[in-house]
Parts: sequence; C-alpha cells; structure tokens
Amino acid sequence: MRAQFRSRLRLVLAGIALVALVMLARLYTIQVMQGDDYAAKADRQFASGGSGLFDRGAIYFTRKDGTLISAATLSTGFLVAINPQTIGDAEAAYQAIAAVASSTVLTHDAFIAAATRKGQVYVEVAHHLSDEAGRALDAAKIPGVQVLKESWRYYPGGELASQPIGIVSYGSGDSLVGQTGLEATYDGVLSRSGDGLYKNFFAELFSDAGDLLVNAEDVRQGDVITTIEPEVQTRLQDDIASVNKKYSSKESGGIIMDPSTGAIIALASYPTYDGNDLASVDPLILGDPLVEHVHEFGSIMKPLTMTSALDAGVITPQTTYNDTGCITVNTRQICNWDLKPRGVIPMQQIIEQSLNVGASWVATQLGQDKFRSYFTTLFGEKTGIDQPGEGHALLTNLAKPQQIGYDTASYGQGIAMTPVQMIRALGAIANGGTMVEPHLARAIRLSSGIERELDWSRTTPVFGATAARETTTMMTAVVDEKLQNGKAKIPTMSVAAKTGTAQLTDGHGGYYSDHYFHSFVGFFPSYAPKFIILLYTNDPQDVTYASDTLSSSFLDLVHFLIDYYAVPPDRGLPGTVTTTPQ
Amino acid sequence: MRNLRLPFDFSFLSLSWGAVGTLAVVYIGLIAVVMSYAALTIEFAQSVKTDESAVATLEAEYLASVAQVTNTDYLAEGYAKPVSPIFVRATGATALR
Repeated sequence: MRAQFRSRLRLVLAGIALVALVMLARLYTIQVMQGDDYAAKADRQFASGGSGLFDRGAIYFTRKDGTLISAATLSTGFLVAINPQTIGDAEAAYQAIAAVASSTVLTHDAFIAAATRKGQVYVEVAHHLSDEAGRALDAAKIPGVQVLKESWRYYPGGELASQPIGIVSYGSGDSLVGQTGLEATYDGVLSRSGDGLYKNFFAELFSDAGDLLVNAEDVRQGDVITTIEPEVQTRLQDDIASVNKKYSSKESGGIIMDPSTGAIIALASYPTYDGNDLASVDPLILGDPLVEHVHEFGSIMKPLTMTSALDAGVITPQTTYNDTGCITVNTRQICNWDLKPRGVIPMQQIIEQSLNVGASWVATQLGQDKFRSYFTTLFGEKTGIDQPGEGHALLTNLAKPQQIGYDTASYGQGIAMTPVQMIRALGAIANGGTMVEPHLARAIRLSSGIERELDWSRTTPVFGATAARETTTMMTAVVDEKLQNGKAKIPTMSVAAKTGTAQLTDGHGGYYSDHYFHSFVGFFPSYAPKFIILLYTNDPQDVTYASDTLSSSFLDLVHFLIDYYAVPPDRGLPGTVTTTPQ
Repeated sequence: MRNLRLPFDFSFLSLSWGAVGTLAVVYIGLIAVVMSYAALTIEFAQSVKTDESAVATLEAEYLASVAQVTNTDYLAEGYAKPVSPIFVRATGATALR
C-alpha cells in the first residue's frame, strides 16, 4: 500500500512539473520568440488597465421629484499618443487621426513637430475620442500610433451652475483636484485613491483583514447630492443672462432659496463658463461671485432696518414721522430718491415708497448700539455655505461713532456683503425672524450605497416672529400696490418684495452719480414662504432703477415657480379671478 | 488492551510530500482564482464606467432640451400672449407638470 501511494505521489509531482514546463515554454514563446510582436501590440494597446484611469465621485442635481441628474460625472473614451521613434509616415498618421478626431487633435504643424522629436517615445496628440472613433483608429494599426483608454471630468449641463459646481485641475501636485465650487469643498469625498480596481481580495484578506470589514475609504468616499433643481436653475440662469445682456451690465446674479431650510434651489451668475471647455475662460470668473464678491445692495436693506426697529420696540407699524425729503447728518445730505418730501407718514410708506429719509429716521430711533448689534448678528459672521472663498461683509462704518454711517447703512449704502449673506439675512424675515444656513449639498452618497444626510440645522434667531410678520406685510404691499403700478399683484398668491438701487463707489471714497447697483428681493407665499429670490445686476447701462431692470425677471421666476411646484394659492376668491394683463 | 494502529502505513516523509503537493495545487488554484477575480473586477468596473458615460450623454441631452424649452421665444414662434390671464383653482396636475 505504501509503494502504491508513493507511485501516486510521484505521478502528481510529475504532473505539476509538466504543467510548470508547459508554462515556462509558453513564457519563452511569448517573451522571447514573439516578443517583438507583442511589444508592438502593447504599443498600440487601447484597453489599458482600469487603475490608470482618472476616477472621481459624481455631483448630482436633484429634480423636484427626487430624481438625480449628474452635474459632474466622468466620461470615458480614448486618447491618441504617438511614439516619434517608431512612427513611420507622420503625414499619413496625422490625416488618419484627424479624420476621426478633427476637433481634438493637435494642429497639423504641432503634430509634425511632435513626430520629429525622436528623443521622446510618448507624445499625446488627441483626447476625448469617442468609443467608435478610438476602436476605428486602433483597427487601422498605424505604426507608432497608440490608442489608449482615458476618462475625464464631464459636466453634462455645460454652463449650468458651473460656478457653484466648480472645476478640477492640476494644482501643485500631479493629480487632478477640485479647485473651485463644490469640487473643491467636497474634494475629500469626491477624490479616489485610484487603486480600487486592482485590489487583490486575498492579499487584502491576509494583509489587513480589518480593512475589508470597515474600509476607511468607503466611509469617506462618495458622491455629492445637491439641492439644485436643474429646471429652476436653467430658468434662473436664462433670466440672469437676459438681464445682463439687455442692460450691458458688468455682472448679474441670482439665488433662489428655501428660507426655512437654507436649501439653495438655484444660483446663477453672469458671465459664466462651460466647465467642459476651459481653454479660453478668464480665470477671474472661475470663482463664485455670489459667495466671494461683496456689494452695497441699496434699499433691499430697508426691510432689515425696519424689522430691527420693530423687534427692538422703538417703533410700531402705526408710528409716524415727518418726511422732509432731505436731511443733513454729520454735514452730509441724505435725500429720498426723488428729493421730494412726503410729510407725516406711517412706517409702511418707508418700505412702499423706498424712502431714505425714513430709513435714516428709523436708524436714529434704533440707536447706534442696537443697530450695530442687529447688523453684526445678520452679517458679522460668514454664512458657512459649502463654497470656498466666502467673502467677509464690510461693516466698518458701524464701528465708528458718526451717525451718518448708520443712516446710510439703514438703506444699504456704506456697508457691503455677499449676495449669499444678503439672502440669508433677508431670509430671516421670511422665516419668522430666524436665519438658517444656506447650503448646496444635502447629502453624501457613500461608496457603500448609504446616503448620509448633511446637517444644516444650525439656526440663528435674530428677530421676533411678530416683527418679521409686520415687515412682511409692508413688503407684500409693495407688490400689491407699487410694483408695475399694482399690475404685478397675483390675486391668488401673496408675494412680498423690495427693490434696491445703490450708487456704485468710484474707488476714491465717493460715489458715482450715474452708475448703479440694482437688487431685488422677494419671497412667497408671503406668510409661509417656500421660496426667497434675490436678484442683482451691477452697473446696468441707460437705466436708473431696479424696478425697471429686475421686476420682469422676478415676476417671471415667481410665476414659473408657482406653476412648476404647483404652489397652492394662499389667498383669492372661491371662483375665478381675472387680472389685468402685464 | 490492543495497540491502536492506523489503517495506513505512512512515513513522515511521504506525508510531507503529499502535503507539499496538495499545497502547490491549492496555491496554483488560488492564483487562478485571484487573477480571474481581478480580471472580472476590472471588466465590471470598466463596464460600469462605460455605462455611466452613456448615461451622462443622455443627461446632457435632457439638460440641453430643458435649456431649449426655456430659451424658446414663444412669441417669435407665433404664439400670442394671453390677453387676460385667468387664475383658477387647480383641479389636478396637468400632463406638463
């Protein structure tokens, strides 16, 4: 029996040895006898390993029904490289490549120059070829031409929300990282280590069993799900671009936010860029001006001044004052926009008629300490929005004892803040006196599939609910009675709004008399708002007042949102109501 | 009491050779499984990326359609602006929503 076992054992060993010999012979054949053929084949190899491909998590828009639409994702295709040492007919190679990649290949002269650099073995000449084009070029088997798989960052919406979404590019290192927008803020979530495809399960098992159970990368890596609604974003972006082009403004922007949660549904600025085509983009517009640029917003500040005074109890809606048209404060003159006196009028008229003298009177009643306290709470800290490079509000005038600084601040001159800071502060009026955290990302979808909601629940109480409601009533009257001479009123929906026209600084401590910054804020339904909208346009030409430049866009957005979200009416008649055409 | 005796007559050396042979076969099998696993993983991952790329193309078409609808000037297309808009209570969602 023992001899029989030994013979069987020898048989097994012989079998193993035979297999080893076959493998050695095969290796010899491949590496030595057919080595040149395989080297040439490898030179043209297009199906490169997955680990070399750029990988990164996606950023998603969220449609109103919850459907996720990619805002930033990956596209795969092919790149073409040449080996100048082995390329034969460079002209023929160029013609073949240009035939399938006409828009992405080097220019003819640059290609020929690259092909003559015999000291190099690898020069990339075309990128972003489609699957069909790449396979067709590879099938041509052109000597010295390599077709390689590649992936790249792709923004399906092009210009859609390009600034808040951001871009990736090579920074100081040799890897692509998020440079602006959400790409930068959530770079730690979106970036990938790149070794995921080549992980050896057994090696992982033997080397670090713990990692298989709880992988730190799986806890960190994921996709970013934003609150941006693509159709609303498209509408806002279109309106902003139209205003900017119509009035030849330097820049324009807008934000639509849920005032109760801080979720930003759309935000747009113009000029903007297409994230897929950065070759000719001015680097100055890569950042997000809605977060980085500060402006003096003008009269949309008056509702905040009014609410502060109402909350402090120094005035009531029934309080009256004598409007003289102009007043002198610290040797400086403050006047109403039309220089006309109104006489003795109630607080409501300060908002309805946008009276600077009235706002100054309210600021004086409030007192410097209380005014500074309210405005420091409103603008003293960054909002915490998930965008890089948020600017600081400029409130230095409120640190000085001169009353003129407080008076001008009461109607939005002399202090400056970012559009995001402004909509957050005005959102307090819409949200019963409480400020929320504006944000763009609502959740992280981890690689494991788990969706982790982000916490944006921090709130900052500023005003009492009563004061906020009283100001809301005044702002609702602006739409019902003043905007477009009352034609803007929607019988079935209360809308609160305020326009703002600020003079632009001349850079020498003064203000231009004929250059303006226009702003517009509004929210609806007035007493249980679902949306707050902030619009602005910087230095529009041949027009003075924001009511002329931004009213149409604001009302277009209001009607669109009411229809798109089927916002139920909050007032109106049991039957039908007819309104005059706009 | 009878001495307990195994039914096989093995020496330590032959047992070791047997173990070595078995381990060698298992090792080769393990390599084959690992390589197959890696190849399949790469293939699936590539497939997923290709599919995601195709989805991104469709999403780009959808977003372009939205932009086209938004940018359309309906007055230029021959539609007339309502002379007298009428606000009515919604009785149900329309197909356009």
